[in-house]
Order: sequence, then C-alpha cells, then structure tokens
Amino acid sequence: MRRPALVRRDRVVPATQALGFFVGIVVALLLGAVLLIVSDHSPAEVYERMFDSAFRGTDSLSRTLGRATPLALAGLSVAVAGSMGLWNIGAEGQMMAGAIVATGVAMMADGLSGPLLIALMMVAGVAGGMVLMVGPALARSHLGVSEIITTLMLVYVAIRVVEWLETGPWKDPESFGFAVIEPVPEQAALPGLFGRANIGMLIALGLLIVFSVAVSRTAWGYELRLAGSSPDTARYAGVSLRRKILAALLLSGGIAGLAGAVQLTGSATRLESGLSNGYGFAGIIVAALALMRPSGVAVVAFVFGAVQVGGQSIQTLGVSSAISDILQAMILFGALVAVVFFSYRVRWSAPSVGLPAGVREEPDPSAEAA
Amino acid sequence: MNTAQKFLLKLLVVLTAATLVAAGCGNDDDDDAAPASAPATEAPTQEPAATQAPAPAPMDDEVVAAFVFVGPVGDAGWTWAHDQGRRYAEAETGATTLFVENVPEVAEDFRAVALDFIENEGADVIFGTSFGYMDTMEELASEHPDVVFEHASGFKMNDTNFGNYFGRMYQPRYLSGMAAGAMTEADQIGYVAAFPIPEVLRGINAFTLGAQRTNPDVEVHVNWTFTWFDPALEGDAATALLEAGADVIAMHQDSTAPGLAAQEAGARWVSYNSDMSPFAPEAFITAPVWNWGPYYARIIEAVGDGSYVPDAYWGGMDDGIVTLAEPAADVPVEVIEEVLQVWEQIESGDWDVFTGEIRGQDGNVVVAAGETMDDGAMLSMDFFVEGVVGDAAPS
Repeated sequence: MRRPALVRRDRVVPATQALGFFVGIVVALLLGAVLLIVSDHSPAEVYERMFDSAFRGTDSLSRTLGRATPLALAGLSVAVAGSMGLWNIGAEGQMMAGAIVATGVAMMADGLSGPLLIALMMVAGVAGGMVLMVGPALARSHLGVSEIITTLMLVYVAIRVVEWLETGPWKDPESFGFAVIEPVPEQAALPGLFGRANIGMLIALGLLIVFSVAVSRTAWGYELRLAGSSPDTARYAGVSLRRKILAALLLSGGIAGLAGAVQLTGSATRLESGLSNGYGFAGIIVAALALMRPSGVAVVAFVFGAVQVGGQSIQTLGVSSAISDILQAMILFGALVAVVFFSYRVRWSAPSVGLPAGVREEPDPSAEAA
Repeated sequence: MNTAQKFLLKLLVVLTAATLVAAGCGNDDDDDAAPASAPATEAPTQEPAATQAPAPAPMDDEVVAAFVFVGPVGDAGWTWAHDQGRRYAEAETGATTLFVENVPEVAEDFRAVALDFIENEGADVIFGTSFGYMDTMEELASEHPDVVFEHASGFKMNDTNFGNYFGRMYQPRYLSGMAAGAMTEADQIGYVAAFPIPEVLRGINAFTLGAQRTNPDVEVHVNWTFTWFDPALEGDAATALLEAGADVIAMHQDSTAPGLAAQEAGARWVSYNSDMSPFAPEAFITAPVWNWGPYYARIIEAVGDGSYVPDAYWGGMDDGIVTLAEPAADVPVEVIEEVLQVWEQIESGDWDVFTGEIRGQDGNVVVAAGETMDDGAMLSMDFFVEGVVGDAAPS
C-alpha cells in the first residue's frame, strides 16, 4: 500500500506562499457561495456587502484597521515566541494583564497630560504582559515545563482578576452599584488618524517592522531561530538556551500586554472582562498563517480583520451568525491549507519498514527546543 | 522542516477536525438555528432572515427597527425573550425588524453592527439588549442624532435620542419565591446567582421575601457563578447546592442547566427569563419571565409618528413587561390563590415587594415597618435580607 507524506517543496519563496494565501481565500469564497446558496442567500449580495463594509471608504477601511491592530499585535506576540519554536497560547490573558496595569497607572496619574499618560500606560501594558509571563518563562527555561499549558491557564487567572477588580476594589462608585470599573481619563484616548483608526495602528506597524528586521536580519534573531530549530547546534555555538527562552517569552508577553493597553486606550472606554475579545487567541491563527514571520503578520492581520468586519456585517443582511462563523472559518482555513500546499507537496510512496509515513526525513520533534 | 512549520501542520490537523465538526453542526443549525431541545413553540430562527432578504428596500415612512443581541436567539433565555418581543412588535406595528445575534460587549463590535444597520439598512431605532453596550450607544447617539438608541438594563440616557429600559423583575420574582417556599420540604432553597450587582441582589432578596411569606423557616443559599451563560458551570453550581441539602433551585442566568441538574436530583426548579418548563418538566415550578413585546411596539410606534422622548423606563407587572409563568400543576391551590392576591396588590400599586419591616442579613432593620423602599435605593441595592445565606459582596 502506498502512503502519502508531506515533503517540503524544493524552492519555496515567500511570494509563492503569499500567492497561496490568496488562492486559498478565493477557493474558500467559491465553496462559501455554495453554502450561501444552500441557505437561501445571494452570494453576490453577501460578498458585495462583505467587501464594502471592510474596504469601501475611509470609515470602512478604518474599521478593518481597527480590528487588524490588536490582531497584529497579538499575532506578533505569538510569532516572536514561535520563531524559536515556543507557543504562547496565553496572549489573551497577557492582553488583560497589560490592560489591568495600564488602568492602574491611569488611576494613579490621571492628572497628567495626554501624551505623557498614554506613554506611561503603554509602558505599563508591556510590564503587565511580562509579569504574567514571568512564571511560564522561568518554568520553561529552568524546569522544562510546557509553556503551552502554563500560558493558557493564566488567561483565566487574568480574566478572573478583572472580574474581582470590577466587583471589588475598582468598582466605580458612580455606576449605581453596577459592576464596572471607572472609565479611563479622556486625555488617555489614543489620538485618531482617520475615521475610527487611531495611532495604535502605527504602534503595531512600527513594532512589526522592528521585529521583522530583528528576527531575520540580526545576530540576535539568528540565534533565536537557531535555538529553536536545532538547540544542540545553538548550544555548541555558545548560545544560552535559557536566556533565549526567557527573552523570547518575555518579549512575547510584553507585546501582548501592549496590545491590551492599545485596546484600552484606543477602542474601549474602560477595563472590562470582555476587553481582550478573543484577539489573543486569534493571534495564534494569525501567527500560524504568517508562518511565524513578523512581516507576514501584518498582511494576515489585515485580511483577518477584514474577514471579521465583513462577517459581522453580513448578519445585518439576515445571514445567521452560525453561517457567518462558518464562512469566516472557511476563508481562514482555505488560506491555511493553501499556504501549506504551496510550501509542501504530497509524495505517495511505499511504506518503509518500521517508520510510519510522514515522519520520514524529519528530525525527532522531542529533540527540538528542549 | 523547522519547528514552526511542524506546529503549523499540527494546527492544520486540529483545524481540519474543528472545521468538519463546525460544518456538521452548522448544517443542522441552518434549518433551525434553535437548539434541538428548544420549546416546540419556537419558530425557526431563519424565518425572519429569509423573509427579510427578498423584501424591497424600506420606504421612507416605514420604521426600520434593529436589535443587537448579546447571545443566540435560541438560548431559551434572555436573548430568546427579547427576540420574542421583536417578533411581537413586528407583527403589531408592521415595522421592518432586523437583528444580529452573538455581538460581544466590545466597542468595535457594537459600533460595526450599529453602523451597518444605520448606513445599509436605514435603521431608525436600534435596541441594544446588553449592559456592556452602554458606553458605545451613548457615543453613537451623539454621532447620529437622527437615530433613536434604546438600551436595556443600563443607566445612561440623553434628552433627545437615547433612552434606557428595564423591568421590575423583582415583582414576579417575589411571587415565584412564594411558590418555591411552599414547595421546599427541606426548607432549603439553592440560588444559582450570576454577578453581585443590584439587579441580581434585588432578585435574590425579593425571591427570599416571597419564600418567607409562605414558609417562615426557609433559607436561601447563594452560589455565585460570575457568568450569564455558561451551562456547564451553572449546572455544577446547582448540583453543589443540591448536594448541600437544597431541594429547590432558583437562578439568574440564561441557561437551562440548573433545571436539568435539579430534575436529575429529583428536586424542583424556578427558571428565569422565559417559561423553561419543556426542558425539565418534572422539576419546573414556575418562573419570573420577560414580556418585552408591548414595550418594543410602543417605542417603534413613537419613533414612527415622531413622538419619541427618551426615558429611563422601569416598568412593572402593571405594565406587563414582567410576569409570572404558569405554575406547575402540583403547586397547592391555596398557594396559587395567595400568589394571585399579591399579584393583584402589586399590579394595582397598593403594595410593593420591598415594604417594611425588612431586616438585613445582620439583623438590622433596612426598611422600617410601613415604609417602602424608593427606586433609587432599589437600583443600588448592595445587601442581602435576613434568611439569605451567602455573601452579597463576594470579592
């Protein structure tokens, strides 16, 4: 019996993968049209609305960019850890931690002028995200505890802390007993650019450029990637794996924390338990679709943001939220599949003795990032 | 193959499985978005959507009313009740009604949906049915003075186009407490409580006072879940209360899980939001329920004829926005008669629930004999009455 195995294509250039990304989306849209016809909607009308609401006019574009901003920051957070083979599943919680500390700073320093207060809150956001990451990072670097589990578990801790603050120490005395935290000071709102877009977008873009260069063009980034892909080589070359793990994870946490501070000052009016809104988890998909490359994160986050805006908008046409969710999932899934098949091909071969198909030509996964 | 790509492949496998599962469920939902176990009276959710799509663009003189829901219309609870109200209002006024479900309480989500309603569908009035929409609705109301914004359960409003509305749910809760007090044999009632906010505390207190009326020895044990809709957690909370000795369960969340837990344990259940008796018919006693339809019809008509004026509406049983579901057949007749008597007193305004003498958990008098708590005090309630076992500020 012949078995399939995924084999990396000989020549893979980023342009091909980008092409694959868009081909996947088109295929998904065609399949989605079938779904829409079956559920009694006009695909042309639905897709036109999707496109208009995401791209037509500055207001629509700013809406898409407004969603792309937290997605890009969360995606970058996951990608920075991912570039050395680590998985930060808890960006959602680190966003919350960042927003908590930023809110605390705003409460203590609400007399400051806007730019100064915003800068302080951003720093506080980074610090908050890092604080939540200290435990998982140390456990990973010194004890080998999987960061996947620890970062994920801390998400729920962070959300519970917000709920505790909402109902307890930070409850707004002017909210008639409702469990809400007082709004952030008005001068802390991020300055707008156009439509609903604000400078949070520029912060995200700047960081993406910085990390894009740092990861692929500097010795630090090379060591990071080397430590992830072949830890033994890295160790032999004198790279401290522990320090690299700590650096990658803490940076990852800090970026997610910053995403929380940007959401707090750019989009929300106050800290609340729904603030992170799933962006942290969506960041995992963004980073995976971008193949853990910061440059790819920008493109994927923008498309992802547009899909979310469009997917929500078609519900006002009468498309149910279930159909809309399936459509959004199909688009992202299509893109993911296409990116993989533009990078790998399937080879059918007879099974060799003792080795299941698929693991051939691959190093032992447990040896990596140990 | 580097590590990142290998993980990507793993993720792909997981996503494939997830998508297949999601697609499988989705196809079922397509025909009938309500859960399979929803009450038989519930029409398929797709029906309004299907009738909307081919309809011609609304004429200028016809009101378009848009609803933004926080949960699924098939939840049988909070959102389901609002959607019933929407259907009623549409039939009553002839207005076009639209809705979007599962909209998170996040500024950009609400804003995006509202702007779509306004710009693409020509919405004249937007109803937001969750507390967390409040700040965004306030902003939108000032940006769009031609559109009316109506917010359920909040406390903000303006003078021209932004009002809020809610109901005196504590009134039917008191009545449901009377029935529950009569049905408990252990004199122990478990209350699966949502969040420690005035609305929930008021409900627990009203329920307890009602239960004490028919059963002076009764104790109401509170278990906080800090959720509005989390069936697993809410079911567990009910089970914990049942294991601790309660034989009647009351609740404030939108799921039916506490009722299923009660039925499994052979105990009884007071549901909330809607008549949830089909979900646990053996456990069901009665339920304080919402009836939003008449209010929605009234607002839509006022928007249509230009007479709309924002208000902080807090209607009671006299206005029909809150009421009591039909009690189970085994609730004793004399209890039902007493319930109906009190119902009449409340409806006529002769008497209200928080009329003294009422003592707090610590034994101090909170409302003196003969006095009735005013709305301000009720809306900021932060204590438990005597007879409630639990912490009113659990953080």
